[in-house]
Amino acid sequence: MKRSVVKAYILKEFTELFRSKLIIMVYLMPSMIMLLFGYGIHMEVTHARTLIIDNDQSHFSRMLTAKFEHSTYFNAEVTLMSETEALHRIKQAKADIIVIIPSSFEKRLLHGQKSEIGVFVDGAFPNRGMTMESYVQGVILDTAQQIGGTLGKRGGMITVNSRNLFNQAMRDEDAIVPGLIGLVLLVAPAILSALMIVKEKERGTIFNFYASPLGRGEFLAAKLIPGFLLHSLNIFILFLWATELFGVPFRGSFWLYWLAAEIYILISLSIGMLISVITKQQIVAVVLTIIITIIPGFLYSGILMPISSMAGESYIEAHLFPVMYFNHIVYDSFLAGTGLASAKTVEYLGILILYAVIFLTLGTFLLKKELK
Amino acid sequence: MSRIFWVVFGKETLSFLRSIGLVAAVLYSFTADIYIAGKGIQITPRNVKIGYVDDTGGGISQKILSRLHKPEFLPPRRFKSQEALSRAIFDKEILVGILFDQDFEKDFRQGKKAQLNLLLDATAASQSFTTLGYLQNIVMDFSRPNFPVVIKSHKLFNQNADNHSFMALTEMLSVITLLIVILTAVVFVREKEEGTWDIMLLMPVNPKLIILAKSLSQVMIVMAGVLLALGFVIFGAFDTPMNGSFWAFMLLTFFYSFSSAGIGLFVAAVSKSTMQVAQLSIVIMMPLIFLSGAWTPIYAMHPVLQFLSLFSPLRYYIEGSESIFFRGTDLIDLWPYFGGVLLLGVLLYWYGFRKIGKLF
Amino acid sequence: MSDLKVNKVTVSYKKQTGIKEASLQAQSGEIIGFIGADGAGKSSLMHAIAGVIRFEGEISYFGHNYHSPREAEKIKPHTGLMPQGIGLVLYETLTVAEHLSFFANIRGLRQDAAFRAYQEKLLHMAGLSDFTDRQAGKLSGGMMQKLSLICTLLHRPKLLILDEPTTGVDPLSRLELWEILDTIRKEEGTIIVVSTAYMQEAAKMDRVLLFDGGEIIARGTVPELTESVRAYTFEAGACPEKEDVESDCFTFDRRSYSLDPLSVPRAEPTLEALFFVNALRTKRAIPKIEIDARESKMEIPESVMEARGLTKRFGNFTANDHIDMRLRGGDIVGLLGANGTGKTTFMKMLLGLYPIDEGELTLLGKSIRSSADRQELKAKIGYVSQHFALYKDMTVRENLIYFANMHHIPVATAIKRINRYAHELGFDAYMDHSPNELPLGINQRFSVAASLLHEPVILFLDEPTSGVDTIARAQFWEMLHRLKASWGISILITTHYMSEAEYCNRVVLMRQGRKIADDTVEKLYAEHPDAENFEEIFLSYYRDEI
Repeated sequence: MKRSVVKAYILKEFTELFRSKLIIMVYLMPSMIMLLFGYGIHMEVTHARTLIIDNDQSHFSRMLTAKFEHSTYFNAEVTLMSETEALHRIKQAKADIIVIIPSSFEKRLLHGQKSEIGVFVDGAFPNRGMTMESYVQGVILDTAQQIGGTLGKRGGMITVNSRNLFNQAMRDEDAIVPGLIGLVLLVAPAILSALMIVKEKERGTIFNFYASPLGRGEFLAAKLIPGFLLHSLNIFILFLWATELFGVPFRGSFWLYWLAAEIYILISLSIGMLISVITKQQIVAVVLTIIITIIPGFLYSGILMPISSMAGESYIEAHLFPVMYFNHIVYDSFLAGTGLASAKTVEYLGILILYAVIFLTLGTFLLKKELK
Repeated sequence: MSRIFWVVFGKETLSFLRSIGLVAAVLYSFTADIYIAGKGIQITPRNVKIGYVDDTGGGISQKILSRLHKPEFLPPRRFKSQEALSRAIFDKEILVGILFDQDFEKDFRQGKKAQLNLLLDATAASQSFTTLGYLQNIVMDFSRPNFPVVIKSHKLFNQNADNHSFMALTEMLSVITLLIVILTAVVFVREKEEGTWDIMLLMPVNPKLIILAKSLSQVMIVMAGVLLALGFVIFGAFDTPMNGSFWAFMLLTFFYSFSSAGIGLFVAAVSKSTMQVAQLSIVIMMPLIFLSGAWTPIYAMHPVLQFLSLFSPLRYYIEGSESIFFRGTDLIDLWPYFGGVLLLGVLLYWYGFRKIGKLF
Repeated sequence: MSDLKVNKVTVSYKKQTGIKEASLQAQSGEIIGFIGADGAGKSSLMHAIAGVIRFEGEISYFGHNYHSPREAEKIKPHTGLMPQGIGLVLYETLTVAEHLSFFANIRGLRQDAAFRAYQEKLLHMAGLSDFTDRQAGKLSGGMMQKLSLICTLLHRPKLLILDEPTTGVDPLSRLELWEILDTIRKEEGTIIVVSTAYMQEAAKMDRVLLFDGGEIIARGTVPELTESVRAYTFEAGACPEKEDVESDCFTFDRRSYSLDPLSVPRAEPTLEALFFVNALRTKRAIPKIEIDARESKMEIPESVMEARGLTKRFGNFTANDHIDMRLRGGDIVGLLGANGTGKTTFMKMLLGLYPIDEGELTLLGKSIRSSADRQELKAKIGYVSQHFALYKDMTVRENLIYFANMHHIPVATAIKRINRYAHELGFDAYMDHSPNELPLGINQRFSVAASLLHEPVILFLDEPTSGVDTIARAQFWEMLHRLKASWGISILITTHYMSEAEYCNRVVLMRQGRKIADDTVEKLYAEHPDAENFEEIFLSYYRDEI
């Protein structure tokens, strides 16, 4: 491998990246995704628009409505509209929850009879629907216990005291932002490297490579190193966004995070390179890269769902995409801090290295140095 | 007039079909990609691995544990000590650990407040949240005094919280957005790059007609993709219910694709090369998808973002589509979505026509 | 023993054979010229020699034998390839100086004083010394070609393969390019394999190979080759008029060619004669150009285009500085000038593809003030751009039908016209190929056909003949003259073939955005009595004022 040759190519790539303003993209896109999604995704549901139809207007029913009104989870509105009308409001997406208190609520309770509270939740957004439903149930049960207390019907009471490991406050940021690093560092380097080779094919400058004594390995090195160096900076930028802006704690070893991220970037770059070896048009390369990387990057990052609860094919797919292994290390570094003491981290680091080696070898093997 | 329109339309469709790479990418996006997205995620607790430490005699604790059953939870595993339990959570072997301490049963029987300690791996916040809510309700339900309040709860439109169809649908909407913008932008920018656009401008045809025909061809490509996705994935693989009108959805999709093609036209008008199109599309599309309310409801956003979201056609489209699919909203109640999409489309085309649609 | 030996090389593509069993030998310091019609296999053989495409057969270079691109790796340090296409190997955003250091580095050259001196010399020879900071994307076509050439020369290759390096390059730059080549081969003993569409250049080659239909059909020195066709070259105008047979005699450029003896005296043959005689020999029909009368009669105003003080600025740079020009009905005006003098800009301004910064323009008697004024004129204007502007994902036939449709031409008429042009311009064999599989020349021909489909009144042609082979150019000019005669069409044309200027009624010369001459060819010859051909007149304008 001739170092000066590779150096010249790299210098050329840098010049082109700067002059074609692609460099803006290299740094704008990762931070943009991080900020948008970091601020954008909220697992917690607040201010759910709640319509309470209080047909009873009694002491007990007001105890219940007050609970809803005082909770930040709900924007409660007590009305006397009809059930049909309220349901229509949900259909128009103008309300999320309807709670219907029956007219003889208090009377029946005092007589020890069954009383039924109707709850309707907009389940179009299943995740939110689930959460809202359990909030509403919690509030009603809580009130029921309180009412039971006033009626002197004391029984045993269990309170749940949960300690949320790694993320005491259950902050969305802590749960999401580290996962976003895995997503961003998969998508952005892949797009960059996909463009860099296909561009030369489309323009014709690839002839310089075909006709020169430059080796295939050297050419690939020259194409990958600029992206590698530029995105290495993103490792730090994203780290700073996470810790400083989003206030995510960092409990593990920075060196481990850094090392894993560099290997991971190499994998992402190789994915882009593999795509660019098989495509001829820039646009196909871009579309393919986006589609191939964003979805698995998001789904199998563990942001939304722990891999352990996946079943069947999604479990297998999750293990096929490198993002899962990297995210395990990232979450560990940020929130847990076990580091290399955990055998799993070591194993996953090894798997990442294996991915990098396989992809790079495959790329060198597939790249042809001749016209088709 | 209309002959020219269909000639341009046919030519663009043919060009697309001849680009094998592009056809493959579009097919993949509308089938496998949506399938993967839909298959991948289940929000309701499922197969959650639980561990526990039981220092009580085991009466009440076992009764509580017996309520944690499939499919939400795997049979709880017993650990000897709290340390062992914590380590298992660190190694991601279990998601939730329950600690029944010695006083627990005693307190409960005596009618005092009995405290149940939970250890939760909160890194996967979404599922941790729902799991916690689930557990809390189970425990509360268990400890509920013999008191006759019954909650009759309905999750409207999606009783089983079937997340597969929801994710698949959301993914399809994103794919539509991504493809229509990029495909349209590339159609125009390629003509600019090759110099054929100059020739088109010199043809004795109104360039607006050519622009509309070209946009329509890409819209129809995407519409064909939507039919594929609906047939094979949304209705086929995931059996998604359709509470509203199928034709209302197709109509909305058509209008939406057309106005998003306007975004593509805008991107093409301001870029010089495919490279720039790629960059610009991504930079424009990310906020677009974010501001659409796909990830977080619009009313829960910062007021500034709420205002900005008015300019995202995807916002109207997603709200409209969800309403049609799940809420079964009537056509007449959908007018705001159609209106928003159309207005934005008209604005975008007006700009595109001005910028590249005429000679000097 | 030859230094370069090509033995029975065959290159095949999916659909056709590029070159079949070609053999050639060359010694150090020789310039081997490839000439031949477009698509005759010149590029295929060059790619094989450069080792960038798979081939059958054997190539041996100083004893290194290779049979595949992989085996050719070991000779690549000694070779240089400049593929066809303007600025193809250049990176738009890199400056001239950056290109030089990039190419030096990928060739692993030590950049010592001797190298710098050599580099300076190349820059100077290419006339690029003052432009080292300019980005390649902003260079003119000729400058790009010269830059590509010196980049290819940096590592002093011993085997230089140049595929039409002078296509689209103005006469001045072309001369400079050849000076560079001549110096290099003398100083370095380089074997140069070069293809060209300019036959005057062939005179500078040691040996010339004539390609036809994927085979080498003749070879020898220029005198040998011209001598071989002496018997068939006659003075112009003696072709017998035959109704039934299309082509056993052909007239072009003041000469007639016939296999049978003609009644007129023989003329001095040129290399062009080789093409015609070969075409006659292979009984390839050189179709007779016939232009049917216009289907729609129209009044042609006396002055079809009048520009007064047209000016175009890009930032601080004035591309066109107050240019006046007039095009009368039935005029053929040649717009000449070096690369980058603003010819294309001027044409685009006339067409409305660039806004006019200053000045007045009248087209077909209508003063142009806004795009609305142009709308109804569109049907009367034809345009061929420098870069072909064809849809690459459709076949030639589909492209033409598409353009015909855009012009509202009825399908039956369109197909008839398309077939006629295909035959006359000689691209009927390629009707079902896609443009990117075809050589430059073929693409140019059918973009010309596309511009004629709607029978325009004015035709704007931006370098329609660059890289087009001799016979096709002859056909093309024949057609223009017939168009003028039977349609009364007016033509504004740019070209780098100075011999073509002589077919124009009037010639406008531009230099650095200004008009420096505007006169009939006869008057220009009268002003320059010493000039033997138009190229000399052209050069005199440039030399005088530099």
